[in-house]
Amino acid sequence: MITAVDAALLVFVLASALATVFLRDVLASVIAFAAYGLGLALVWVTLQAPDVALTEAAIGAGVTTVLFLLTLTKTARPSAEGSTFKGIDWPAMGVVAVFTAALLWTVPAIPAIGDPEAPAWANPEVTQFYLDNALAQTGVENVVTAVLAAYRGFDTLGEAVVVFAAGVAVLVILREERFT
Amino acid sequence: MSGDTGRADDNSPGGETEATRTDGRAAGAADPAGEDERTERRRPYTESSVIMTTVQVVAPFVLTFGLFVMFHGADSSGGGFQGGTVVAAMVLMLAFAFGIGPTREWFVNSAVVALATGGVLLFAVIGFGPMLLGGGFLEYSLYESALGIKKASKYAIEGVELGIGAVVAGVISGLFFAIAHGFEYREGEK
Repeated sequence: MITAVDAALLVFVLASALATVFLRDVLASVIAFAAYGLGLALVWVTLQAPDVALTEAAIGAGVTTVLFLLTLTKTARPSAEGSTFKGIDWPAMGVVAVFTAALLWTVPAIPAIGDPEAPAWANPEVTQFYLDNALAQTGVENVVTAVLAAYRGFDTLGEAVVVFAAGVAVLVILREERFT
Repeated sequence: MSGDTGRADDNSPGGETEATRTDGRAAGAADPAGEDERTERRRPYTESSVIMTTVQVVAPFVLTFGLFVMFHGADSSGGGFQGGTVVAAMVLMLAFAFGIGPTREWFVNSAVVALATGGVLLFAVIGFGPMLLGGGFLEYSLYESALGIKKASKYAIEGVELGIGAVVAGVISGLFFAIAHGFEYREGEK
């Protein structure tokens, strides 16, 4: 069931994605990409994934855009004279069309939102255990947080170290000794 | 929070962005900025009172929201990673509005490094702590039974979330400054 809000969001996301691809001016393309990130964040909200939506809004629409803008100011910006839109690269278009068709092919296999028969429930020993015991065992109401920081905390510590290592790696690659 | 934005503001007026970069390596960046016509390379920063005022009003709320998401990850959606990205986005927003140079002076390197390393250490200490008490890794309930801290498990998880938030906020804003600096450095070199 697609509501009017869903439909409007999907149209917005598709339009901003197409604008990102076809706008000739790189700066306009970056701004369209930021709009795409924001639209996608709202799609995540409608899909009841607020954690992903927060990350998408901050990283996809915010940080990525600023990094692109930073890169634009440090490189030459190609002249955007002439038409607003680029011509269509037909070979690339063909590859994208095939890829999109392959992805759309899988859509009917995705269970409906909230479907009690969804495969995520195929492993009730784990999933139902978390739902039943998370509050009693960890004292937090958000089961996602309970899994991330308690049940699977070892993985999360590894992830935190990976993020830290990414910062160190950038300094090493840039031959810098300090961030700021 | 208002003190933070106020400090960034102090550095901004008068278009002294280039001049406030006292760092020797960054100073070289001033030269290519003068070659705008030839290279079509635009100035990295243009002062806009609309953007500065808007950011000055919005930034404290964004920082509060980021901290709320971080602190409240145990009971509502969000958590350390999400809150950290929001806080980092606020730092980038300040740099966007007031110029990278003044923001860099305000958000010094030791603060970035302290956030990133402190976050990892906080997570590790909370995670490995129960092992010192004779339990297993992440066995938060030991804090309650051995040390008598009430709701120890919940506070430990929130501490872990704060650690993750600090790592993410520190590294993302650090990446931003490092990348900005890296380009300036190479421009100055040639």
